[in-house]
Amino acid sequence: MTDRPCRLLPFDGLGGYRGFMGILAKIFTWWNGATIGTSLYSLRKGRQVGEDSTGNRYFEAKDKSGRRWVIYNGPNDASRVPPEWHGWLHHTHDLLPHELPAARNWEAEYSPNATGTADAYRPAGALERGGKRAAATGDYEAWSPN
Amino acid sequence: MADAPQLPAEAEVRARWGNFAWTKENAKQAATIIARYPEGRQQSATMPLLDLAQRQVGAETNTQGWLPVPVMEYIADQLGLAYMRVYEVATFYTMYNLAPVGRFHVQVCGTTPCMLRGSDDVLAACKNRGLSKGHTTPDGLFTLTEVECLGACTNAPMVQINDDNFEDLTYDTMSALLEALAEGKPVKIGPQIDRQTSCPEGGPTALQAMATENHDYRGEWK
Amino acid sequence: MPKVTVDGIEIEVPAGSTVLQACEAAGKEIPRFCYHERLSIAGNCRMCLVEVAPGPPKPQASCALPAMEGQTIRTDSPMVKAAREGVMEFLLINHPLDCPICDQGGECDLQDQSVAYGRGSSRYDENKRAVTEKYMGPIVKTVMTRCIQCTRCVRFAEEVAGVEEIGAIYRGENMQITSYLERAVTSELSGNVVDLCPVGALTSKPYAFEARPWELTKTPGIDVMDAMGTNVRFDSRGRQLLRIVPRINEDVNEEWAHDKTRHAVDGLTARRLDRPFVRKNGKLEAASWEDAFKAVAAAAKKAGGSVTAVAGDMVDCETMFAARELVTALGGSMLEGRQTGLAYDTSSLSAVNFNTGIANIEKADVILLVGSDLRREAPLVNARVLKAIRKRGAKVFAIGPETDLTYKVENLGASLKTLTKLPKAVADAFKNAARPAIIVGGGALRYEGAHGAALALAEKYKLVRELEDGSTWNGFNVLHFAASRMGGLMLGYAFAGGIRALAVEKPKLGFFLGADEVNYDLFADTFKVYVGHHGDAGAHAADVILPAAAYTEKAGTYVNLEGRVQRGERAVFPPGDAREDWAIFRALSDVVGKKLPFDNLEQLRTKMAAAVPALGVEGLADYGWVVPKLDAKPEGDVADYPIKDFYLTNAICRASATMQRCSAELVHGETFAEAAE
Repeated sequence: MTDRPCRLLPFDGLGGYRGFMGILAKIFTWWNGATIGTSLYSLRKGRQVGEDSTGNRYFEAKDKSGRRWVIYNGPNDASRVPPEWHGWLHHTHDLLPHELPAARNWEAEYSPNATGTADAYRPAGALERGGKRAAATGDYEAWSPN
Repeated sequence: MADAPQLPAEAEVRARWGNFAWTKENAKQAATIIARYPEGRQQSATMPLLDLAQRQVGAETNTQGWLPVPVMEYIADQLGLAYMRVYEVATFYTMYNLAPVGRFHVQVCGTTPCMLRGSDDVLAACKNRGLSKGHTTPDGLFTLTEVECLGACTNAPMVQINDDNFEDLTYDTMSALLEALAEGKPVKIGPQIDRQTSCPEGGPTALQAMATENHDYRGEWK
Repeated sequence: MPKVTVDGIEIEVPAGSTVLQACEAAGKEIPRFCYHERLSIAGNCRMCLVEVAPGPPKPQASCALPAMEGQTIRTDSPMVKAAREGVMEFLLINHPLDCPICDQGGECDLQDQSVAYGRGSSRYDENKRAVTEKYMGPIVKTVMTRCIQCTRCVRFAEEVAGVEEIGAIYRGENMQITSYLERAVTSELSGNVVDLCPVGALTSKPYAFEARPWELTKTPGIDVMDAMGTNVRFDSRGRQLLRIVPRINEDVNEEWAHDKTRHAVDGLTARRLDRPFVRKNGKLEAASWEDAFKAVAAAAKKAGGSVTAVAGDMVDCETMFAARELVTALGGSMLEGRQTGLAYDTSSLSAVNFNTGIANIEKADVILLVGSDLRREAPLVNARVLKAIRKRGAKVFAIGPETDLTYKVENLGASLKTLTKLPKAVADAFKNAARPAIIVGGGALRYEGAHGAALALAEKYKLVRELEDGSTWNGFNVLHFAASRMGGLMLGYAFAGGIRALAVEKPKLGFFLGADEVNYDLFADTFKVYVGHHGDAGAHAADVILPAAAYTEKAGTYVNLEGRVQRGERAVFPPGDAREDWAIFRALSDVVGKKLPFDNLEQLRTKMAAAVPALGVEGLADYGWVVPKLDAKPEGDVADYPIKDFYLTNAICRASATMQRCSAELVHGETFAEAAE
């Protein structure tokens, strides 16, 4: 419970910085996109296969190992991989998104896990959702001044 | 615990025994018993004191005595113990009676050796006299309990009545014994047939010269 | 440090460990029923059998076998498996197959272990034994046929609760666990035997047939029934809180909780304030939030800075901080939390803290209780003192009226003058003690000079000292019994001269935060705004009632009596229109035109941590050790103790049917006929 306030710190706190601060952040942090080591490795040994709508880049090893990996555009949160790339990334199948059957019109837009952010789920009745609750349902006994 | 005696109602017991106290002699005896144990180990005196109390209750009611709850509490207070601890001891041992018994507490052994040798007959004799397991006869004379082995298997079947053993019983001798006790006649303690303690029936078959006096056999060795 | 081998794993265990502990250290699970870390070893369930070499060629009970150098222990051999299956089969011989109607189902050791270690079926074909139910009081429900005679409850009653009222009577197959003559167990800790019982023999009476454990949402929380800060788990289903059980925290409550903590739950659904009220023509009438706020705003306008806030015993630091900010914004500064009129000096928090610490008090060797009825004021501290006596032979002296603390206390009379001149025997004991401690309770703090005299005594006998091992021992303790007290003092909820002096100032507007123990006659001319969750004394006296959340209905920071900052989470929502307290003050601040600078709990906590840094960090707050100069000439006797009825100390308890029943039966000695089941 000690880390409660921390959890609400935005993970992409440094992501918006560009320029000098961005380079410093790249050197000293690991939680946004690839570290310098990974970037170099990806350039040398990897082949970029594609990019998804949020800008995450997907790589496959040039050698026979068949490794696949992703470099996030922003916070390193595995839930940011959309379903069309998830199957490919985890070797469930080898089809790239454009080879997959077209999305059905009833499929909802994918959204990453919102836990710990302002968009996190709050139960109905929580103050963050306006605090509107169902009227008394009789599961308690109200006090009356008379 | 089907034939365990029903514990008497607490309120009545408290009314009758609430002001239990040692008699003068027993108070002295109790002090002696407690003094046997080192300081801080008084709880060791629980069992002898319970026995003493049971005998005092017996003397007061002209029965074999029992342990009313206030009496146990009296002992617990004397020894500085929790009531529960004394109560546990009193309920654990079958020789402490938790309900009133008659003047004669007939404890019939029903364990295997006695059963093979005819304890059923002994029980039948008791039943015939109006005794039933776990109950006291209406005249307050007898309480019948069936107990497990009392360690006199050589003389089976046997009963223990109050502090004495009566052994080698049959239906007839048991009936006669109960009759004699009821009438207040003297009875023979120990084997009810012609035998000395647990020697063979009809006199010894070996070391016969030893039966009456000490005999030096060494000269007769061959 | 003997070295043993468990299933081929070589491991070194502390001297004096048992084989069972050695197996656990090696990561092996040993099934057990009678063994419990916090109780003495009984060794009567035989479930923990293992194979040990060297030793007799048969399984051995690991819980009662000391670990020795060079032992080879096997927990996975065929012999051990067969032994466990055998023991399990025997245990189940007389255990009824009534799991579907047993409250323990789902959290039953016997159920779990028979699945894990038992045979699939029983070969027993005879009649099972049945045992009559035993009465153990209003908290514990018994179904003694299910009992496997592990005697955990017997040992708990004797060793932890200190009341030897549970025992095993009769023998062999007829053995039964019972309370003495089937009377109610007169312990504040009796509810713990329900958790200890590995089967469904002892279950919770108020919670009987309410829910299955797997239906419950479990939320970590902090208890507010006393100042212990007991770590608890709120078990809720849907919007209803069903039960409260302790969490393990070695530094605070070990794994115990007293009956008020556990069973005041039903008070949370009774007498609730679920809508605002405004007094019109001398009568409280239901109102909307807007109207209620308007009424307060009008009063605030008239008050012109003469504003006060009085905190009750169960409020969290966030509430007190929000109220304090609003009072300050309105130009007021009068804050008080000691509702009953205590007025001790608070210039040094270390002088009103339980400095030794709850866990450390069991290491004390001489303890002097000054006007403290420890058993009612802090039952779990009392259990620690009992431990000090049982384990380390500590000597306990007391100044104050005679009271049954479950252990032997040498009473020095009620005169507070004793503090200034201890009898020789006590003085010698203090001089020769390695870890002496003094505990000053609310019974003594009422009297002028008692606090100072206790501090002087602490100086005289050097209760604050360095120990041989280099650590610091602070033996000076003040025992509070309100969950909000230490937090309140840290937030400045202390008015010089106490609440009576505050009333003399005749504040025009007063916020009463769940304050039900206040003498409201003192505040006849004050516009009283009651912010709380139960309709009790405070609500009856109020001019405006703003319905707020109880401790299970808000996330809150609490500081316990030793200065430990702990956070609890929200399990359910407050009923009806009630809102979380801090949000009420935030909304009200908007209406009175003094907007408070936080919009959510995180912002509030950041602000609070900025104001009082210690409240931002969970764990022990460091108050240092500063001795204030105080009058040290106490007069008179400790007349009585502040807690008259342990079970009815706050608004939640008073609304709880279970607590009412406990009070009637255990405090006032009424008897209740039990309906035959």
